[in-house]
Amino acid sequence: MDPLESIKATFFQECDELLTDAEQGLLALEAGDTDPETINAVFRAVHSVKGGAGAFGLEDLIRFAHVFETVMDMLRSGEMHLTDDVAKTLLRASDVLADHVEAARTGGKVDEARSAPILAELQALAGHEGLDDDGDGGLDGGEIDFTPLTLSIEEDAAPLAPPVPEIPTAQVWEVYFRPRAEMYAKANDTALVLRELARLGKAEVVLDQSDLPTLDHLAAEHAYLSWTIRLETEADEASIREVFEFVEDDCDLTIAREGEEPAQAAPADDFDLAALLAKAHAAPSEPEAPAAVVEPPPAAAAEVDVAALIARAQEAAPIIEAAKPAEPPRAATPAAAAPPPAAAAAAAPAAPPTATIRVDLDRVDRLINAVGELVIQQAMLSQRVLESGLARSSDVALGLEDLELLTREIQDSVMAIRAQPVKSVFQRMPRLVREVADMVGKRVRLVMEGENTEVDKTVIERLSDPITHMLRNAIDHGLETPDERQEAGKGAEGTVKLAALHRGGRIVIEVSDDGKGINRKRVRGIAVNKGLIAEDAVLTDEEIDNLIFLPGFSTAETISDISGRGVGMDVVKRSIQALGGRISISSEPGKGSKFTMSLPLTLAVLDGMVLSASEQTLVAPLSNIVESLTPRSEDVHFIGGQDAVIRIRDTFVPLIDVGVSLGFRDAPIDPASGVAILVESEGGGKAALVVEAIQGQRQVVIKSLEANYQQVPGVAAATILGDGRVALILDVDSLVSNSRRKGGRPEKRMAAA
Amino acid sequence: MTKTILTIDDSRTMREMLNLALVQAGYRVIQAVDGVEGLEVLQAEGADVVITDINMPRLDGFGVIEGVRANPVHRATPILVLTTESDATKKDRARKAGATGWIVKPFNPEKLIDAVRRVAA
Repeated sequence: MDPLESIKATFFQECDELLTDAEQGLLALEAGDTDPETINAVFRAVHSVKGGAGAFGLEDLIRFAHVFETVMDMLRSGEMHLTDDVAKTLLRASDVLADHVEAARTGGKVDEARSAPILAELQALAGHEGLDDDGDGGLDGGEIDFTPLTLSIEEDAAPLAPPVPEIPTAQVWEVYFRPRAEMYAKANDTALVLRELARLGKAEVVLDQSDLPTLDHLAAEHAYLSWTIRLETEADEASIREVFEFVEDDCDLTIAREGEEPAQAAPADDFDLAALLAKAHAAPSEPEAPAAVVEPPPAAAAEVDVAALIARAQEAAPIIEAAKPAEPPRAATPAAAAPPPAAAAAAAPAAPPTATIRVDLDRVDRLINAVGELVIQQAMLSQRVLESGLARSSDVALGLEDLELLTREIQDSVMAIRAQPVKSVFQRMPRLVREVADMVGKRVRLVMEGENTEVDKTVIERLSDPITHMLRNAIDHGLETPDERQEAGKGAEGTVKLAALHRGGRIVIEVSDDGKGINRKRVRGIAVNKGLIAEDAVLTDEEIDNLIFLPGFSTAETISDISGRGVGMDVVKRSIQALGGRISISSEPGKGSKFTMSLPLTLAVLDGMVLSASEQTLVAPLSNIVESLTPRSEDVHFIGGQDAVIRIRDTFVPLIDVGVSLGFRDAPIDPASGVAILVESEGGGKAALVVEAIQGQRQVVIKSLEANYQQVPGVAAATILGDGRVALILDVDSLVSNSRRKGGRPEKRMAAA
Repeated sequence: MTKTILTIDDSRTMREMLNLALVQAGYRVIQAVDGVEGLEVLQAEGADVVITDINMPRLDGFGVIEGVRANPVHRATPILVLTTESDATKKDRARKAGATGWIVKPFNPEKLIDAVRRVAA
């Protein structure tokens, strides 16, 4: 890739990080953080966005970032105080800044209707400072373009004469240059200045060391020398002056055309011009001054010649002044400025060691796939060995056991490589919440917890949609308007909490609000009206709450722009189930609701119980299994002569014949002849799966059925077992809920399927 | 002898830009992400020229300049600060602290190399 394009890609990548930093800083500020470093961090982030944008000439982005930065700078310097309103404006500004970055990335345009008002608000905050200069970011032209040129000193050593329109004519200039000690203290170097000057044309340099005191009066870091340069060049005064750009304030300098009074050309400094003039003119004519005169050729050899000049000047001085260093600061320099020893330079890596490396995700994915195959192969091998009749204590079997442990360890480590904190998803949410809140006219505070909870990247990517939905739902349906809240004796601002945690080998995402809770009467009424439940159905509160996940259910009286568009919670639930996840809701009237979503930590492997049903091999995720038991006939009862339940201790649990549910056979087997696996679904519902036998427990590599075949109800995915057979992985949740709905309302069987 | 330039900037974009221009011009480049790391790297590896940003976390560019100038071994290392056109006060402050020169952002490679050459022996 073109290196510039690659840097541009880096820039946009960095922008994402900077925008996140800025947003998080602003959120902290909004929440009352008063640490100046927080303001600083936001300032730096915006500043860096602007800096990079400047380098690429992204004008719109620069313009917006500039005003934003100005406001941050005013906050930073204490010129402006951070009020709640300012914080809110800045947060919205960070959203618009993100829009500008996105527009720059895609070459599109930002929505002016969104950007302009915020820009105006920022400008209002910045006052005159936001309006006066926009040159900072490079809008003043000239230096916007970063055009990489292959440059080297040698190539570039030709006279810097720029292509000026008029025919350049060489002129002779007289330059008087007397460094002050400060110039050397800042590591500037006369030799380099003279070298630069020599690049402009033909230079005759005369050293005046008449001010050098005797050795006993010599101060090590004082400056005693001055130079007069007769320069024949086509360059104008500005170009000459530019050579002295870095040292101008730390030296006495006059630049004049030969024969002219330098007074006109001299900077309006406060040094004694007359004295200088006298000196300048006196210097070359002083007979005892050892004048080293060199005429460096303008091209490549310039450096060498000036160096020689300096060397000679330095040699010359000691002759006169009895071995005094001619240029004190330089004398102090060599040891320090010497290049590092070759060995050290060679041993030193190009960059300081860092604790992290960046690896292409493709490579990690390949590694994970390979490890998946390794796990399968290892399982196959174990099985073969087992079948071969080797003793468990044989060396081969023992070796295999070690191999199994190692394989497991490798797998865990490899999965950990791909694990990422959910932060990357969470950090997109504050903006969403602000926008949704604005749209529905509610005031919302988002609290996030557990952002560092790690989960496999395959899962991370798919968290975003469900979380977005749950948050929208919480704001749109869960929270009340500020007025309603105040009537209910709550603060006008509602709180929505987004939390992530690990529980039982799964990642749990909770979205809770302190709103009005689910209106169960209404939910039930709607469900009955829509024919989702029977009018006389007896449902627990929890079951009523979870009705909102039924297909076609929507409680919003007007389908708003936010939660509407036909995408209901049923879609959310289905997409979560497709990931082997579960979602449920609990609610307390007047106090709020809580969505709980749980997903496997990875979509790559699964700990499962291998089962047989109807001569098929199936795998039930271990995370769903509570216990397994052999049903006794006297514990099995039939409700209405049809739906079997089993009594486990003091509760009755529906029996689900897996063979029948998956369509392997028509009639259920006698539960007492098989094994019952007590499973628990995310909704808290329990059921007992009836299968013929349990084969064992093992870790399996998940192969998506959808990717390879199609979605099958009751089946979450497939896997390849040790003996090479394909086994289906059960979707326990859908099995349980299907059987429940079947029991509750037979005609819904089709819809459920 | 290839000269070594230490670039200190918290922006990856800026570091990469500096790196591109400097490496193309034949310099060896080492990078640091903030002032503290910059001073550590300078101490450990040395450099012929230091190019530093001003706004950085942990230790800003002024701190870098002061740190370098107060270091008996590296005090004579030339330091170029990256500034922007509007940062006249910052540039002055950097100069007072002992900056050797400055580079105005956004820079083009030519200007950058010019500035480096003006301070690199």
